[in-house]
Amino acid sequence: MTEPRGQTKSSDATSSTGMELQSVSLDPDVPSSSLSPKVGQSNFRRVSRTEDSSPYPIPGLAADILHMRVKEGSKIRNLLRFATARMQGEGRDSNGTSMRQVVFTGSGRGVTKTVTCVEILKRKVGELHQVSKLYYKTVNEVWESPQQGAAGITMQRTVPAICILLSKDPLDPQEPGYQAPPTLSVPTEDAERRRGLIRPAHSPSSQHTAKRVCLDDLND
Amino acid sequence: MTEPRNPGMSSMPQTAPVHTDSTSPAVEMDPVEYTLRKRLPRKLPKRRNDVYVNMKTEFRAQLARCQKLLDGGGHREICVHGLGLAINRAINIALQLQASSQGALQLAANTSTVELVDDLEPEDPDEAGEPMTRTRNNSAIHIKVFYPDPQ
Repeated sequence: MTEPRGQTKSSDATSSTGMELQSVSLDPDVPSSSLSPKVGQSNFRRVSRTEDSSPYPIPGLAADILHMRVKEGSKIRNLLRFATARMQGEGRDSNGTSMRQVVFTGSGRGVTKTVTCVEILKRKVGELHQVSKLYYKTVNEVWESPQQGAAGITMQRTVPAICILLSKDPLDPQEPGYQAPPTLSVPTEDAERRRGLIRPAHSPSSQHTAKRVCLDDLND
Repeated sequence: MTEPRNPGMSSMPQTAPVHTDSTSPAVEMDPVEYTLRKRLPRKLPKRRNDVYVNMKTEFRAQLARCQKLLDGGGHREICVHGLGLAINRAINIALQLQASSQGALQLAANTSTVELVDDLEPEDPDEAGEPMTRTRNNSAIHIKVFYPDPQ
């Protein structure tokens, strides 16, 4: 890989992380979060990893909105089981209210998964308005050498991220990144799907069923 | 949990595990007897200002191509498309273009699902295996990178 990675800055281990973060490096490609900084030693230990809690890039969102944070290792079936239950809560006794909106965010290698989740959910729930926003997310990492007294390293990397709002209510069509619901989205096999979703979570076959349900969805 | 996979699957970047799984559980097949061959994704109509991002071409070359379209090509908007793993790179290119324009460029991203077709060819022609096809879905992104109209 010849593409430059996040810039590293050497600093005293004692200095606070906030002081060393002026350098904004724009990685041309996705840095892998599991890579150690390229400082020659691989025995550096990552002490902390903090993401800046930026507000939603989509204007006019409620604070208590259902927010799905899609990570690299998140299972699509878990995310969707939860999100679908909340979005399709209408007509179900157990789970009182249903959400009108849900926002999915993912960064780095989780971006593809985020898009996939949204695409499946759109097909499942149907009639959802969508706004997608792209942005850079800043991740601060503090690395520490195992030797006492050696300098620690603060890294700042920027990773591409996506934020997608799905709404049952109409959204502003003038907003960049708006997508209207597809005209002929007919949710099929709705009953069967619900049966799969409201299975008790602890039954041994529930995971398998959920997966099969997901796969079936992809077929329609 | 692990279902039998066909041998060709391992060469595919596993971006979306659910999508790359076998889409029809009804198809029974011996994993040894078939070769999985992936067809190229269906090409969408390509305008002069469409850029299809892939993971084979160097990142910088693709970024430079987009930059050239906007700077020298006289286009007020270009469309960057990415499929599967290349979604990430498409987003990155769009954000880099925006960053280097000092905020003059705007982005509008749309997502979609693309149906892909795999061919299953029997390894041994003497066996009773029939050539089969199988469709699966993958996610895609389409980013419009444009100079907003002065108002």
